[in-house]
Amino acid sequence: MNISNIIDQQTLDALIKFGINVLIIILKIAVVLGIGLLHVAYATYFERKVIGHMQVRLGPMRVGPHGLLQPIADGIKLFFKEDVIPAQADKVAFFLAPVIFMASAMVNLSVIPFTSGFVIANINVGLLFVFAMAGIGVYGIFIAGWASNSKYAFIGGLRSAAQVISYEIAMGLSLVGVMIMAGSLNLTDIVEAQEKSVFGIFAIPQIIGFVVFTIAAVAETNRTPFDLPEAESELVAGYFTEYSGFRFALFFLGEYIAMFIMASLAAVCFLGGWTLPWYVLKVLPFLKYVPGIVWFLLKVYVFIFFYYWIRATVPRYRYDQLMAIGWKILIPIALANILVTGLVKILL
Amino acid sequence: MTVREIVKRFTFIEIFQGMALTLKRMFSHAVTIQYPKERRPISPGYRGLHALTRHPDGKYRCVGCGLCAAVCPSQCIHVYTSEGEGLEKIVERYEVEVLRCIFCGLCVEACPYRAIALTEHYEFSSYNKDELYMTMDKLLSNWDKYMAGRKDEEYFKRFWRPMSEDFGTPPGQAVFKGKKQ
Repeated sequence: MNISNIIDQQTLDALIKFGINVLIIILKIAVVLGIGLLHVAYATYFERKVIGHMQVRLGPMRVGPHGLLQPIADGIKLFFKEDVIPAQADKVAFFLAPVIFMASAMVNLSVIPFTSGFVIANINVGLLFVFAMAGIGVYGIFIAGWASNSKYAFIGGLRSAAQVISYEIAMGLSLVGVMIMAGSLNLTDIVEAQEKSVFGIFAIPQIIGFVVFTIAAVAETNRTPFDLPEAESELVAGYFTEYSGFRFALFFLGEYIAMFIMASLAAVCFLGGWTLPWYVLKVLPFLKYVPGIVWFLLKVYVFIFFYYWIRATVPRYRYDQLMAIGWKILIPIALANILVTGLVKILL
Repeated sequence: MTVREIVKRFTFIEIFQGMALTLKRMFSHAVTIQYPKERRPISPGYRGLHALTRHPDGKYRCVGCGLCAAVCPSQCIHVYTSEGEGLEKIVERYEVEVLRCIFCGLCVEACPYRAIALTEHYEFSSYNKDELYMTMDKLLSNWDKYMAGRKDEEYFKRFWRPMSEDFGTPPGQAVFKGKKQ
């Protein structure tokens, strides 16, 4: 029996086309997910190494040569740890919180353009989508704090919610300048606009926006010096105090993927993504032959190194200082930046 | 706010100074000693696990006077003696409770015969208390294990000179030297 007797040729072609597209997307998702998880494993390793050397220590050295298998050992440990749930915890919310947190971080991987044409979902509101998902991530943290039924977790969750909401405003405003200059919310378009622009990267005309974004990104991912939600000296471990084993690993994964997202956002919106500025290419034309993913990852890891560097240098801010920086400095500066960018855009 | 303060605040100059320092330290040599693989050299005169020293012929030096037990601030040395056939003192048991010892070294200083020593062995942790209760046999074997080959004379001369040497009788003074045989 011929299949074309049942389905006419046109529908069959369309179906095959659809199937191939789905297959390609699934393949892309697998690649991104694999790279993402591997990245998290070795991001922890490099964080410990970098901070160790900055503090004149060695960092992990025992598991494998120079401690290279340490992340794997940590992963195995987390898998086999006892999963403790507090007796008074709100079970459903307790189970849901780490999933919300990690999922909202991981979904962002789908809109990040890794290189020319390699993006899982090339949507027109990519930047907005990242913001929205970062906003949903706060629910994970807050629900975790609430469901644990522990005062440390609860205060950590509250702080985190307040902090992320305040800094999201500053971050959003700092990126408005980029949106104005690129005229698009699509991350691929933003990179292409930078390639065509006079400066090559938006970090030069948008230097104020870039600085505001960098500070806000550190605060947004709850990293030192803005890691008040998990301030060890006051709150044990903050919102995930009561979590153990694999559920803790989910929070950990989410945090590191969020870091990766923020670094990629910085690379895409300010540092030119997978492209190099035209003046660099003019001076060193052979760099054209290096694949774009190399430049993208280089920029991302420089930004992530900056995260580690800051963590090894700056002590934690006080809570009122944190709020003062967010509301009194960053937001007015970002607003002024938008005003100037808009005026320049209209006048030129 | 002065201009200086404003500049300081908006250029993050102090944070950048701190970051320059951490970056510089990143390329300096780590001070870590990777313990089981690397060990720092033991300082001369280190006070580690106890041992009873021996004469060159192999007999222990202890005479059972009990000065070490008397001077011990944590009272962790127990000496039991009995009378031998020729009315001499026999050391029956000489025991050190290592877990109570504070490693002050007063016993070594007190001993007029250089009979007790603190060796340079420091890795003697154990899962039970019995292993750390040193009997005479264990103390003697500690000496054989950890200080053998060392010139104990020199060791004592440099670090654990018996205090009685400092407070001995002046050379001019008449002393009872025992009955002439």
